[in-house]
Amino acid sequence: MDRKNIFNVLIILMFAALLASLANLDLLQGVKFRKLSDSNCIRLIAQQGARGNILDRNGEVIVDSKISYDVLILPQDLSQLDRILGSLSRILGVEVKELKTAFRNNYFSSSIPVTVASNIDLKKAILLGEYKLEEPSIIIQPRPLRHYPYGSLAAHVIGYVNEIDRWRLTKLEDYGYKTKDIVGFGGVEEKYDYYLRQEEGGLSVEVNHRGKFMRVLGFEPPSNGKDIQLTLDLKIQKIVEDTLSGHKGSIVLMDPQSGEILALASYPNFNPAVFVGKRSKLIAGLFNNPDSPLINRAISSSYPPASVFKIVLASAALELKKINLYTIFLCRGSTMIGARKFSCWEVHGIQDVVSAIAHSCDVFFYRTGLLVGAQNIHDYALRLGLSKPAGFELPYETSGFVPSPLWRKINKFQSWFDGDTANLSIGQGDCLVSPLQLANMMAVFANGGYLTSPYIIKAVGALDFSAKKKKLVRVGFKKSTYEIIGRGLREVVSDAKGTANVLSTLEVEVAGKTGTAQVSHGATHAWFVGFFPYDKPKYVICVLLENGGAGHAASVVAGQIIGAMSKQGLI
Amino acid sequence: MRNSFLRILILVLIISCLGVLSIYSSTYQKEGPWQDIHKRQMLWLIIGLVCFVIMSHINYRRLWDANYFIYGVALFFLFLVFALGIIRLGAQRWLRFAWFNFQPSEFAKLAVIIFLARYFSRKSADDISLLSGKFGIFKGIILPFIFVAVPMFLIIEQPDLGSGLMLLLVFVALLYLTHVRLKYIFTLILILILPVPFFWHFLRDYQKQRLLVFLNPNIDPLGAGYTVIQSRIAIGSGGLFGRGWLSGTQSQLYFLPESHTDFIFATFSEQWGFLGSILLLLLYYLIIRQGFIIAQRTQDSFGKLLAYGISLLLALQVFINIAMNMGIAPVVGLPLPLMSYGGSSVLATFIALGILVNIDRTRSVF
Repeated sequence: MDRKNIFNVLIILMFAALLASLANLDLLQGVKFRKLSDSNCIRLIAQQGARGNILDRNGEVIVDSKISYDVLILPQDLSQLDRILGSLSRILGVEVKELKTAFRNNYFSSSIPVTVASNIDLKKAILLGEYKLEEPSIIIQPRPLRHYPYGSLAAHVIGYVNEIDRWRLTKLEDYGYKTKDIVGFGGVEEKYDYYLRQEEGGLSVEVNHRGKFMRVLGFEPPSNGKDIQLTLDLKIQKIVEDTLSGHKGSIVLMDPQSGEILALASYPNFNPAVFVGKRSKLIAGLFNNPDSPLINRAISSSYPPASVFKIVLASAALELKKINLYTIFLCRGSTMIGARKFSCWEVHGIQDVVSAIAHSCDVFFYRTGLLVGAQNIHDYALRLGLSKPAGFELPYETSGFVPSPLWRKINKFQSWFDGDTANLSIGQGDCLVSPLQLANMMAVFANGGYLTSPYIIKAVGALDFSAKKKKLVRVGFKKSTYEIIGRGLREVVSDAKGTANVLSTLEVEVAGKTGTAQVSHGATHAWFVGFFPYDKPKYVICVLLENGGAGHAASVVAGQIIGAMSKQGLI
Repeated sequence: MRNSFLRILILVLIISCLGVLSIYSSTYQKEGPWQDIHKRQMLWLIIGLVCFVIMSHINYRRLWDANYFIYGVALFFLFLVFALGIIRLGAQRWLRFAWFNFQPSEFAKLAVIIFLARYFSRKSADDISLLSGKFGIFKGIILPFIFVAVPMFLIIEQPDLGSGLMLLLVFVALLYLTHVRLKYIFTLILILILPVPFFWHFLRDYQKQRLLVFLNPNIDPLGAGYTVIQSRIAIGSGGLFGRGWLSGTQSQLYFLPESHTDFIFATFSEQWGFLGSILLLLLYYLIIRQGFIIAQRTQDSFGKLLAYGISLLLALQVFINIAMNMGIAPVVGLPLPLMSYGGSSVLATFIALGILVNIDRTRSVF
């Protein structure tokens, strides 16, 4: 009966097949299946740390985080869910329907806990904590939220936080950013997001096939982001914002000796808290507002410098020895350049360089400009930090622009005429600067010849950056140049006919320069850029009022700020 | 001679113990009556052992005489199930008794084997040679096929495609072992295989689904493919040494359905790993081999065919169950003999093994 041997072989073959398949599953694919098995039953519940705080120079909190509580549940089968949502609604005092809708809307996949209620208060969180003992599928998760104790104060410096957008995500994916991460937009929040950012910790829990919580497998505490200390002085910032409030424009206050920004304001401003509360109507309003409140006018907008630019002219002419202290021009209210009449805003009579600065005489500077030449004006403007970004830490800084004959030739195929030089001499034409740039330029005359690089970050975590950030570049003008221009700037205030004579009533001796920028539409922009106290400058101030009228208006605002500062003993 | 009794007893006891351990591990955390299920299984095992000992002492030749009676009783119960069986898991396989459910198809398989063994080992009165060598196509194939087809049809109607096809396989195998001409056997196989595409339309939806899912479990990962996927994960995640008894997340957290019945191998394999599974396969192989050895050394052709039939039944059940656990065979509702929870399966297996031992014990008589 040899037919029977076949069965022996068959049985051995069958067992061999089983063995081979077993080896394939266990040994060859074992690791893969172990992972699959883990992903079946292990759920990760992320827990956020707090974003780093933002402090002022004295360590006072400008922005911190406040803990709110979210309620999450592990997805599981429906009858269980109804029961849990029922008791949740009793404890939270929310309709079951609402919870169900929230569950449906936030449900992502069966392996991810679903948020059913967010932002519940501490009392309810404690009540829920007791209920959790009998229903462990509920997760009460503390979630730190950005908290702005001063509302919109320094909003442009700080920026706001929001869910990451697609563009940032593609850029930052490699650094561990994920969809739905909260990241900074604008200001310090954006630029220093990497440091401010908290690290996610979390629980890993085991669930059964119905998604029911079984036990906690592990916990890694989340870690908070690093605190960032700014050079801003909260008191000055408050004064500045209170004064600016209601005027479209921007104010920069900096320390001319180091480049530290002490106050930086831009108006209209916004309250970053609306992004935390996700109040979509208000957010849409911010984006659609024609006055663009989200733009930091101090660094991202540029305006014609107008008469403030005359300082550049004066230094160029003095340096190139085209004029000296005794050079005079006669202002008859206008002057002919080529075939065109260029007028001054007043009849000033005989003007030397100091009085021309003090009275802001246009004719003097038309003439001086023609002596110096447009290319030289451009070069000196660059030496004083214009037409290039100041290398400031906040994002979206504009570089401003100073035209030159060469640029005109290359880019516009047009020649440069003396009239253009005259226009440039009084800071009109294509010339554009940001308030920060002008403040930085003024610092050169306040500190006796050093171009600072303005900065606003004093320390990140425990690391103090101020020593590294303080970069002073010698401009290299003659001492007499600084002296002469300094005198001119002082006379702007002290001279009875000086354009900023209103400031002479202050206790502090102020020096500075006003400007009235003509724009194609609407009222002129008003500038005042100056420093104080005159003999030992501690502050540079730059006030810009968009469509604010004549430079006088800006000097009035500056006067209010300086007055308030001296009243509070800050000077 | 008594060796085979002891050997099989020891092998069976080891496998049964592993089975109880696995049943315990997959049900001890559940609530209610589930918790005691391993105790019930132990009770069945004890009853089974008693049956085993009794059967090993009852001369198997009596089965020759009782053959028609056994076949008739089996058919009766199958009809009974057909008429008033209880429906569980979408199938009508069980009869409700006082405190347990009785699954006649488990015993029907054995009855059919006894019947076939008797049918093919009839001798001619003149020259004591086997009649089966002289069978024509009607007596050799068609008549016995009708006897197999009736219970098979009833079982498939339950529906229990696995057990039904199992009968067919054993029938073909036994045909092969007798002296029926190969020509006839191949004709039968051809006749059975050719209309398979036609039968497709007669399959239940879930059966079609299972076959499709067998080809690609991922077409329906949460429905019909779920069990196979979870079972493969359970087996694979065991790795070389397994995750240990009472650990292993697939069975402990109930991701694996039927973890104490049809898919008990996956439960076992997750906890005991590759090495444990090899040991289990070896134990089964040894029992089946013992069955073949008994069959080979038995002179009596009825005993021989019966021993082969029983061994083959056991081998096929073990193979198909483990293969479906690993996803290399379609999912059919077949228990793993001696391991899976279920009184009928345990009793039928013990009785079959008892008969096997008795064949070995009695063979010298003839």
